[in-house]
Amino acid sequence: MSFEPKILGIACNWCTYTGADLAGTTRLQYPQNLRVVRVMCSSRINPSFIFRAFQLGADGVLVGGCHPGDCHYNTGNLYARRRLAVTKKILEFSGIEPERFRVEWISASEGNRYAEVVTEFTEQVKQLGPQTKFKISR
Amino acid sequence: MASSFKQIEDKLKTEAKKLLKTGQVSVVLAYGKGYDDNHPMPYIAKLPSDADNIVFNEYCTHNLARYLVRYPKGTKIAVAVKAADSRAVIQLIQEEKVKREDLILLGLPAYGMKNSKTGEIIDSQTTCGLYNPVLYDTLLGEEVHGQPVVSPYDVLAQYEAMDKDARFEFWKKEFDKCIRCYACRKACPMCYCDPCFIDQNNPRWGEKSPQSHGNLMYHLTRFHHLAGRCIDCGECSRACPVDIPLYLFHKKVAKECEEMFGQASGMRIDDKPVLVNFRVDDSDKILE
Amino acid sequence: MSRIGVFVCHCGLNIAKTVRVSELAQFASTLPDVVVAKDYKFMCSTPGQEMIAHDIKQHRLDRIIVTACSPLMHEQTFRKVLAASGLNQYLLTIVNIREQVSWVTHDIEEGTAKAKALLNGAVYRSRLLAPLTSRVIDVNDDVMVVGGGIAGIQASLELANTGKKVYLVEKNSTIGGHMAQFDKTFPTLDCSACILTPKMDAVLQHKNITLMTYCEVSEVKGFIGNFDVTIRQKARYVDHSKCNGCLACTEKCPGKGLSEWDEGLVNRKAIHIPFPQAVPQKPVIDRDACTFFKKGKCRLCEKVCEHKAIDFDQQDTFTTVKVGAVIVATGYDLMDTKPLIQYGYGKYPGVYNALEIERLFNSTGPTGGKVTLRDGREPKAIAILHCIGSRDKNHYEHCSRVCCMYSLKFAHLFKEKTSADVYQFYIDMRAAGKGYEEFYNRIIEEDVKFIRGKGARVSKSAEEPDRLIVEAEDTITGKFVQLPVDMVVLSPAMIPRSDTESIKRLFNLSTDKYGFFMERHPKLAPLSTMSEGIFIAGVCQSPKDIPDTVAQANGAAAEALTIVEKDKLELEATTAMVNPASCCGCQNCVRVCPYGAPAFNETKRVSEINEALCKGCGLCASVCPSAAIIARHFTNDQVLAEMEGLMEF
Repeated sequence: MSFEPKILGIACNWCTYTGADLAGTTRLQYPQNLRVVRVMCSSRINPSFIFRAFQLGADGVLVGGCHPGDCHYNTGNLYARRRLAVTKKILEFSGIEPERFRVEWISASEGNRYAEVVTEFTEQVKQLGPQTKFKISR
Repeated sequence: MASSFKQIEDKLKTEAKKLLKTGQVSVVLAYGKGYDDNHPMPYIAKLPSDADNIVFNEYCTHNLARYLVRYPKGTKIAVAVKAADSRAVIQLIQEEKVKREDLILLGLPAYGMKNSKTGEIIDSQTTCGLYNPVLYDTLLGEEVHGQPVVSPYDVLAQYEAMDKDARFEFWKKEFDKCIRCYACRKACPMCYCDPCFIDQNNPRWGEKSPQSHGNLMYHLTRFHHLAGRCIDCGECSRACPVDIPLYLFHKKVAKECEEMFGQASGMRIDDKPVLVNFRVDDSDKILE
Repeated sequence: MSRIGVFVCHCGLNIAKTVRVSELAQFASTLPDVVVAKDYKFMCSTPGQEMIAHDIKQHRLDRIIVTACSPLMHEQTFRKVLAASGLNQYLLTIVNIREQVSWVTHDIEEGTAKAKALLNGAVYRSRLLAPLTSRVIDVNDDVMVVGGGIAGIQASLELANTGKKVYLVEKNSTIGGHMAQFDKTFPTLDCSACILTPKMDAVLQHKNITLMTYCEVSEVKGFIGNFDVTIRQKARYVDHSKCNGCLACTEKCPGKGLSEWDEGLVNRKAIHIPFPQAVPQKPVIDRDACTFFKKGKCRLCEKVCEHKAIDFDQQDTFTTVKVGAVIVATGYDLMDTKPLIQYGYGKYPGVYNALEIERLFNSTGPTGGKVTLRDGREPKAIAILHCIGSRDKNHYEHCSRVCCMYSLKFAHLFKEKTSADVYQFYIDMRAAGKGYEEFYNRIIEEDVKFIRGKGARVSKSAEEPDRLIVEAEDTITGKFVQLPVDMVVLSPAMIPRSDTESIKRLFNLSTDKYGFFMERHPKLAPLSTMSEGIFIAGVCQSPKDIPDTVAQANGAAAEALTIVEKDKLELEATTAMVNPASCCGCQNCVRVCPYGAPAFNETKRVSEINEALCKGCGLCASVCPSAAIIARHFTNDQVLAEMEGLMEF
């Protein structure tokens, strides 16, 4: 049986989550490995959420926000961009594959792009194999 | 010609006595005797006579900016600042924890500081590699010149070159040593949260007993909290009883922040800390 | 210990087809704190809602999880069920297993597995939810309408007639918009001005409408029910409080600028009203065209003005008005077809765009309603090229919807006004609308030639230098067509206004990939936006004809009315608060908040959040190093618990 990764998604309510809904409304098909947590803004994402996700056994983490400049809260994603960039550098230096963590800007109208990103990221994480470095064994 | 530690110590005593006597400050943060010469301790002089107890030698590595945030707002404080201490002060000013006008910075130009545990000279390998304070009111000695200018990030090359699995093993081994004594955060001039996130119960961010995953959570999150704020004094690592090279990780994050956001921490009081700031034209490439 | 009820919806087969719903309910009943778990065909139906209400009572439930469609669809529906059953509405959790599960997979195993993981996450989160109290705020009665085209005019009048005060903001010096430029309207061929100008006048006369022409929105603050909108009144250099509209100044003025009104086909004066029926009937000075502003001398207008209304020192002024709701009706531009060099617009004088043609037909237009070429000749053959830049993957994929019909209208008017042969080059004829197909048939009868093939190129005729050659593939005969004509009419893509970006920023709207404003829901909330209290109408939402625009305007007016009719409004309770015991006084929250909600209390040395200003984004919570900020409904422990639940399966 092939490896089916578990991917945690954290999506902002206004753009990416709505874009994900649009992907559904238009019946686009994409892999079911992603489980999404809805937050109001990508800026809500605490770096510890990402570290924690990997500890909980996520093989990949995908963060989705509005395109810079389109944030429902004006500037939230501009802060998020910096904070998540640092998060990624920390992950990388700690030895986890940085490819397991991705931030994408997906607007409410980009259902297609949502499906594409999920498909592509799922495939990428599949290639990387199970994430065991951070995972807490139960 | 650089001044000797003794010369600086004398000037520090004189200056401290003067400031306390005139009432310009109510506190002077400096160093005093420890249990031996190799272990001086931070010392708080409050009376002019206290100034005689001030010590300055090559083992006075502690970052005195650490103690600034303890005092009520408006307390006039003189603080002895080496290069790193001065950067920490600048960072604290940026973060509005202290006000420039409440401080008198007694600059200590010092090359040849030593790690009291190893006796090794402290240079850009474990700190920012600056020897003159960045900001001061009085410089108590001659500026240090002639030391080779080395990037504080050179030391990272071998770790960056490591295979990611090897690097993970390296850090796992290091973090697994952690006994969660929190000396790192006690020594850190920028760690002023009370309570620290890791001490909280709701939610529990990570296991509190010294176990791998709790250690990992504590250290990685702390690196993030110090991103763009750590001024590379290296005190965390020197304070660590189990010798975790925390400075390496901090250097790496500092390097990345400098490259991504074009600003080094604790260099200018008008800067805004990079992670509570943004530029509309920050590149998406930083996320790659 | 909480008592959770899980309600799994089949949504007919929408969910049940790719998620085993009864298995999901069965699974739910094994999860911690779940007291009851049921599945039902349509949970949003009345029996479904009653079932939930009944179970809340019977099982003394204190948390409800509805596993159904997106929270953006039915969260409000189910919140009401909770509220009616005496349960705090924020104790509801929606699990989205339709849009994000059943509709995006064909595999029932995968679908069921993912639904279980999502449900597990929801149970974990649900246990930590806290009841929240909504904030109740006062609502301002007034409405702002941005854009004075037919949509904005209609919406303003409707609202004003209900007794609400309306601020109608228009960036041009007159209201009327594109519709005022048209000659006739399809399919009835009634005169555009005849039906529009009475409405324009009604706006001017209406006691409840404050008309703000030559104005732009410069800042928007606040939120639903309480917007503070700052308007920039651009300097007109004419004091409208003194001007009586005699227009003596426009006669004497020597300055000339291109008439925007006539699509640049002719000049107008520097001091001008855009067109004879402009509202208001008071002029403005175009700085760029004015001799005085250019050369420092002239002031003829000042000399002839008996009312001393000319004021060359006038500056832009700013006013802030308070409104409870806003309707954005900013309309459209035509795509600039110059870059499409194959059509020769801007290069060959015989090539026109559709709005220019509207002006040529119009008796107030540059030719007084005569159809002549730029050199004065009457065209003998005319080609109308559909879908220029629209329905084109290289430019705009969307259909501009009205071009087929106005092209037919053009054909009719050409036939009426000239003896030219008229050719339509089209991809498909789209005549969906009341009376449209009939109109199409009527035009076919009028001896208009239809060539099914998109115009591919316009070039200069080698034999007759005055004429143009239109090339296309006739897809019915499969033949290549080269047609000599005198006049080419391009029907360019309708695209969002060039200032859409700034409107979008100001009102916090989203746009689709073309730049048209996004509606909250494409079917069920076509006039609402993601920004509460801001509505959209007309072509700024997507291309549409006048009847649809007017219908939308009425709809948007009604939507706005549902807000400003209320005295009080409940706001989301999902704001942030500071736990002072944990606050380390770093003031990161103060630095980052886009709304200035947190402030630092210097005495207590902790931050405090003003909930009236907080919009609940949670940014402050993530920048708080000591985790002292609680982002209500998205607290750290709630998010972490949900993540844990999601990752368990």
